[in-house]
Amino acid sequence: MIKQLFTYTYIVILINSMCLSCSKPVDFDQVNDLEITPVMESSLVYLNQPATSFLNDGNQISTVQDYVQVQFFNSDFIVDNLVKAEFVFETTNSINSGFQVKVDFLDVNSQLQHSFSFLVEASTNNLNTTSNFTEVFQDNTLLALKNTSMLVFTLKMLSGTPVTQNTVGYVSLKSKGVFYFNIDADL
Amino acid sequence: MRYLAIIFLVTGMSFAQNKQILYGFSEIPQTLMLNPGGQINNSGYFGLPFVSHIHASAGISGFTVYDLFANNGVDFNIKLRDAIYNSKPRDFGSINQQVEILSGGFAIGNIFKKNEYISFGLYQELDGIWYFPKDYAILALEGNQNNINKVFNASHLKLSGEVISVLHVGYNKKVNNQFSYGVRGKIYSNILNVNSIKNRGTFVTEIGDNNIYNHIFNLDLELRTSGIAGFEDSEADDVYRELKKRTLMGGDKGLGFDIGFSHQISKQWYVDGSLLDIGFINHSKDVENYSIKGTYQFEGINPFFSELETGQTANDYWNKIQDEFSEVFEPDTTYTKFTTWRPIKLNASLNYAFGEKKEKECNCIKKEKEYQNRIGAQLYAINRPRQPQAALTLYYYRKLFKGLSMKTTYTADSYSLNNIGFGLSANLANVNFYVMADNLLQYKNIYDAQSVSLQLGFNYIFKKNED
Repeated sequence: MIKQLFTYTYIVILINSMCLSCSKPVDFDQVNDLEITPVMESSLVYLNQPATSFLNDGNQISTVQDYVQVQFFNSDFIVDNLVKAEFVFETTNSINSGFQVKVDFLDVNSQLQHSFSFLVEASTNNLNTTSNFTEVFQDNTLLALKNTSMLVFTLKMLSGTPVTQNTVGYVSLKSKGVFYFNIDADL
Repeated sequence: MRYLAIIFLVTGMSFAQNKQILYGFSEIPQTLMLNPGGQINNSGYFGLPFVSHIHASAGISGFTVYDLFANNGVDFNIKLRDAIYNSKPRDFGSINQQVEILSGGFAIGNIFKKNEYISFGLYQELDGIWYFPKDYAILALEGNQNNINKVFNASHLKLSGEVISVLHVGYNKKVNNQFSYGVRGKIYSNILNVNSIKNRGTFVTEIGDNNIYNHIFNLDLELRTSGIAGFEDSEADDVYRELKKRTLMGGDKGLGFDIGFSHQISKQWYVDGSLLDIGFINHSKDVENYSIKGTYQFEGINPFFSELETGQTANDYWNKIQDEFSEVFEPDTTYTKFTTWRPIKLNASLNYAFGEKKEKECNCIKKEKEYQNRIGAQLYAINRPRQPQAALTLYYYRKLFKGLSMKTTYTADSYSLNNIGFGLSANLANVNFYVMADNLLQYKNIYDAQSVSLQLGFNYIFKKNED
């Protein structure tokens, strides 16, 4: 009898534990708080040229300019999630002449949205001079970046010793873009 | 949003396929599905359509639903980061669900000695497994800024999922009192299939030669689907009709079989074992595969002296880069037929019966006394895309009253080391009802469970004459 009672109790407890399972409070709406903030870095433009590259048929070229068309900054993903960006430039120069680097940001209608420039110091002794420059895109300038569909790059050789076939030295430029994202659960 | 959370929950949970409580529970006809050579103690049965066997199980290794969604005031993003950093690429979630649509069996052979048994049926099964794509998660969470020189591994993406229906016929023969064997032939009908299991490749950002960074992509990714592409513009009614047709064996076909045996070593000891789902499915209808394959290096562009270096303007050069980039990264769609193998399962057990039933009166006609208790060890293993998974179970079985028996199990597996399960089988007149569930210790907080599993069903049993 007691054994039977024991067996019954055992079964009841087990069945209860199976059917009346409990759960501590969970809140699936927390998914709405999802927010990830990856930072992507990408190489941008580069340059590594001897002084003689600035000669054309023996004549000095003082300005080099070209452009690229980019849809990247207008893409939905960038427009929605990019919260800050930086263009970081590292230059070294061993030419006895300074340079100016200028980047213009144009929209689809070729209207200027943003522009910045920086100087590369001349090297008076043909040893490398280094200089760095960072352009930060936030608020208005970030909006300008997101409107950009063409980048115009201008490299201007500043006054210095005129370049000849015998001019020594190199100018080099390396750059990267740093893209700060804030991706939230806007689902 | 809530639905998304639930989808996340369901996909995040792993329905383990192990049915350690049902295995060897010979009062229940469905044990024959786990070992076609198992012991049978009925002369026939039919399952109540759609409710003869309902199985659902879910599990997740690494983190639990509670770890992520606990309402404990901790910022969800902190919990998410913890879950990601604490998980390994071999952590996984999987789901398994089965419903028997039809099921039945009957003994055949000499009228005095019916030692052969035919069983048959049709069931639907859903099976899915995904591995935690750790490097993808880290890249999405952090970006590459703090991961310069880290090689992101593309093979962390691994998943497979299938919905099929299975038509089967099994044959069981009791050769003598010591040995039984059985085979089951299966025809699979594919309902839906998605798999991406052979991904390879890397992505790394290194310090560059010409520029600050050199980004190197080397990717070989493929996602294969069948049975899905045709539904893109279909109405709900058409989808339903087509799914019903495939469930009734109208989909891509496959073949497979199960084998098993059981051997009585002595009066009290027996061993048994089985191999299930040795089979394949050929996918040819509504096949659509996507692949990303190629290598690409990017160091940036030289816009000032582009023509000098590349012979083209900066913009032409940039366009060429974009084209090459698209060529690698825009998925190619192909319609190549493919074959998938079913996850092979192995079961084995060693069992010891004890505790003879005490008769109130001396019964001289009864041939053998029945043992009331049984203990044993069971081994289960399943072949999975990354590596096989195994589980070891210890159990205690007891006949409680006439027609009522129970089994409790302790299981150590990929999910946890403390999985306690319990099952009951009750025969009321000719109706058999069974219910079983595992991970009972976790039910005090179901969301913190690494896995849960449930089986239940109703059958109508034709008893053996000697019972």
